[in-house]
Amino acid sequence: MLGYFDDENAEYVGYDNSVSIDKQSLIGLQGDYLFNDSLSFTAQVVGHTDEQRNSGLEWLYLTYAPSNAWQVKLGRQRIPFFNYSDSLDVGFAYPWLTLPQQFYDTAFFSTFDGVLANYEFSYGDWLLSYEGYWGRFDDKIYLNSQEINTKVIGLFGVNASIYYDNLTLRASFNQGDVDIEQTQAAEFSQLLRQLGFTNSADWLNASGVIQLYHFSASYENVDYFVRSEFSRFDGKSGLVADIDSFYISVGYNFYPYTVYLSYSKKNLHFDHPDNEIPFGISTELDTLAATYLGVLAAFPDDKAAGTKIGMRWDYLANLAFKAEMTFVEAKDEISNDYAVKDLGGFDGHGVLYQLGVEWVF
Amino acid sequence: MLMFLLNCMQKAAADHIVIVANVDDKSIKLNRQQIRNLFMGGAIPHKLQAIALSPDNESRLLFNTKVIGLTESRIQSFWAQMRFTGRKKEPKEIDSESELLEYLKNHQGALGYCRSGIEIPSELTVLLTIN
Repeated sequence: MLGYFDDENAEYVGYDNSVSIDKQSLIGLQGDYLFNDSLSFTAQVVGHTDEQRNSGLEWLYLTYAPSNAWQVKLGRQRIPFFNYSDSLDVGFAYPWLTLPQQFYDTAFFSTFDGVLANYEFSYGDWLLSYEGYWGRFDDKIYLNSQEINTKVIGLFGVNASIYYDNLTLRASFNQGDVDIEQTQAAEFSQLLRQLGFTNSADWLNASGVIQLYHFSASYENVDYFVRSEFSRFDGKSGLVADIDSFYISVGYNFYPYTVYLSYSKKNLHFDHPDNEIPFGISTELDTLAATYLGVLAAFPDDKAAGTKIGMRWDYLANLAFKAEMTFVEAKDEISNDYAVKDLGGFDGHGVLYQLGVEWVF
Repeated sequence: MLMFLLNCMQKAAADHIVIVANVDDKSIKLNRQQIRNLFMGGAIPHKLQAIALSPDNESRLLFNTKVIGLTESRIQSFWAQMRFTGRKKEPKEIDSESELLEYLKNHQGALGYCRSGIEIPSELTVLLTIN
């Protein structure tokens, strides 16, 4: 992976204003052990060069597949939020060099420990697939430029996919009860509650239910493809944002090359309540109000769009080269928790140039 | 002239894809969509094992175009995704059509494809011809 971001005042997916080769590179190793025809064990470790991605064990599970139709997995797995959530690191599996970040950047945790079951059957010419999972997440997440202990319990999701010829539709619903360790915010919230500012105190809470809705539609044939995904992330607590995002990509194949154009957009926003702490009554209250507004400012909305144009060259059956340009557009404030990092004075526009090699072995 | 016409007809016939299987029940009916699902690792109503030709085989390219409806590179990227996520297993691959037919002969429930014009062993059943 080789990349260069053309604006010196910002970083995008870890690339800055110098040519770097060590940002998104990774190596994954997977081991499968078959006990018999229906029972197997899988382990996968991934090593990242990107400091925002944790290296280590991504998969560790048992698979029981009594027939073609049923599959049950038990252990540590990727959460199937989106179409490519379980294959983020298999760049060979998708046309883009970097997945549409304004969409794929929004899932702040990616693995769970639990059980996942999948049932597939055909109905006439249609193929239908149902999937459900249940489990928990207990690890560190990367937020506010630091690693934060996070626990998600009661995490579950259901999704259904319909395949008809080269058309694929998928819809999913996911829910979990999140507990993000935010000691300072929690202490401040307690203080506000003691002083009677319960709305503000309630809002300064990073723990609560999250829900994610997802829909995708894709069509592809020998000549071209259209892929799209839409999602709505609903954070019920104040410090967890709501996010609406989507992408749409179209591509044209002229074997062994594929050229594509992609547009993705993210609207991350908080429901900031009106300030209930009065100003100008006492110095203490003024300080309290200022602190409260300071905390609000640490959780800014984040709106961004990305347009990609790129090419994939399938040189061998297991080796592909990719080249991609991403035009990044960030609006208003930038939270710095996601793909775009404002290093100071970023005007909100930049272009990322990337070259990459994908090899599966 | 007659020879030329015959030659043309043979060439045209050679561009069909024949779906053959080693099955006891000769009345099994499968359509193109079901064959596609079977070769892409999907569930179909019959218990059959799909056997494919290897990626550099010309008949496989014809099968990709006529039945799967995707390019070889897209099929490879699909299987990379399925393999690394443990979702589906790709069909066993065999280098040539004659070896594939031999394999089908010896394996009950195995299903494969070849170009029309190739002699099909009598033990096998032609389930579908795709123009």
